[in-house]
Amino acid sequence: MNKPLRIALTKGRLEKDTVGLLEKIGYDCTAVREKGRKLILPVPDGNLEVVLAKANDVITYVEHGVCDLGVVGKDTIMEMQGTFFELVDLGFGRCRFALAAKKGSSFYGGYKVKTVATKYPNITRNYFESKGMDVDIVKIEGSVELAPLLELADGIVDIVETGTTLKENGLEVIEDIVPISARLIVNTVSMKLRQHEIESLVDLVESRL
Amino acid sequence: MKKNDLITPEGTRDLLFNDCLARRTVEAKLEELFKSFGYSEVVTPGIEFYDLFSGSSRHFRQEAMYKLTDSKGRLIVIRPDSTIPIARLASTRLASAVLPLRLFYNQAVYENNALLKGRSDEIAQSGIELIGGEDKERADYESMCLALEALDRFDSDNFRFEIGDIGYFKELVAKLDVDESVREEIRLLISAKNYPALNDILDEVGDTPVTASLKALPRLFGGMEVFDKADGLFTDEKINAILSHLKEVYLKLSELGYGGKISVDLGIVSHADYYTGIVFKGYLSGVGQSVLKGGRYDGLLGEFGRPCPAVGFGVNCDEVANYLRKNDLSPSISAPDCIIYAESGHSAEAVALAKSLVKSGSVAEIGLHSTLEATVEYAKKLGIRTIYKLGDDTEKIEL
Repeated sequence: MNKPLRIALTKGRLEKDTVGLLEKIGYDCTAVREKGRKLILPVPDGNLEVVLAKANDVITYVEHGVCDLGVVGKDTIMEMQGTFFELVDLGFGRCRFALAAKKGSSFYGGYKVKTVATKYPNITRNYFESKGMDVDIVKIEGSVELAPLLELADGIVDIVETGTTLKENGLEVIEDIVPISARLIVNTVSMKLRQHEIESLVDLVESRL
Repeated sequence: MKKNDLITPEGTRDLLFNDCLARRTVEAKLEELFKSFGYSEVVTPGIEFYDLFSGSSRHFRQEAMYKLTDSKGRLIVIRPDSTIPIARLASTRLASAVLPLRLFYNQAVYENNALLKGRSDEIAQSGIELIGGEDKERADYESMCLALEALDRFDSDNFRFEIGDIGYFKELVAKLDVDESVREEIRLLISAKNYPALNDILDEVGDTPVTASLKALPRLFGGMEVFDKADGLFTDEKINAILSHLKEVYLKLSELGYGGKISVDLGIVSHADYYTGIVFKGYLSGVGQSVLKGGRYDGLLGEFGRPCPAVGFGVNCDEVANYLRKNDLSPSISAPDCIIYAESGHSAEAVALAKSLVKSGSVAEIGLHSTLEATVEYAKKLGIRTIYKLGDDTEKIEL
């Protein structure tokens, strides 16, 4: 038996969805479901080893090749960039990036340079760069919706699922930027050196989507 | 002590003892190989004009280059690549030299990487450039065989060599009726094997045999089966010629005794813009990135006024050295064979004795401790087995 393929999962919802998908394929994921505090867990019948990590770290581990595969949101991929293969759109973890502002305010009006608050400065910069628009970007770590309410920013760029949080805080979506979902990523060298194992896993995954 | 006195800049490090030895081992192996095939070493400046790396096929991201200015205010970069300076050299100072030129280099390149990604900004690179020569095919084989031989000497069991041809993608994408920016987007998506986004963008372009081939491109890697798959996709005369040539190369290299270690990737859509034909990469298992990259670049010398075909490759010596260290394939530093302890007034004789011991093939160290006891203790710590005590008479002590 070869050494197991190591797959890094983004802790939380994407982890649960991925485990669900692996179980649909027919793998026994008991060890992952009853993980306790362990961070590396075996899925013996798939010859897999699951690593649980934060989204950004999934990319770091896959890029360095210490994990062969990873499941991570497109939002993280767009923010972090990096060198790896992005093989499958897994379809779950669906939401979108959107630009939002206070209801009734005109974000694009006036001549003032606008201030935008976000947890995703790279995505925000790229978006406004592609529009040829100068903005000041402020990085916020917690609830970004606060920034326009406290009048620190004119708008926010953030992940929107249902839009409820925005509505309850008197904000509205001005425009959608890009849809997001979970992706299966692969280290560039693993893809070449363990092609058959990875391709058969990808085929199984795609057939269960 | 000032703030940055005790640390090295981000992305750099000091290389000590066994790590240093591993790197020099890699460099020595390559140097020996290159020299034995008639290559001569060149050294190019550590700094070059910014313009050199921002010409037509020489797109180096400006964010990724270390920049400074010279005394006239002109923009200078710390060498990010060695092939381009060598192409310049071959077109200028070597303009009247007899072709082909067989040059090799062993020098660092620098890349200003994003912070905290665990990447090295200073990369020791060693490689060859085979410039000119009438028979391009023979030149291709020579450079690929040297690359294979290098990988084989690092670890004959655990390497993989991958070939592709830039022409395949270039021919396909040229048939699309789209903007240059869309072409670039497609190239990036193929190189990232980003199937979902590639399919989206090609669906917009339309459903033709060409887009179907481009959609399949990221999956066109592996062994012989790749050629069968490619045969089922869009082909024309030029593409057929490229594919059948690549197939021949694949078979010939396998016949040379590298069977099972060669693979094909038609989705290599270039790791540098100057490549024009065959491209190849080398991998060592467990290293997260390729350790060898190369290919044919027939247009680059023309940009310096001397149109001339060329092919070459470079090895990331740091990654190979780390690999050798990790897998116990590199030598380690051993303790000196003996140490000489000289009583006061015998310092010069100690040097003389050391010289004669060295002449006879031992590694001898001159002790700097002031007592014999301290010397013994030091020798034990380092694993030195023999002490020569020099006084009015010489005594050899075995530990």
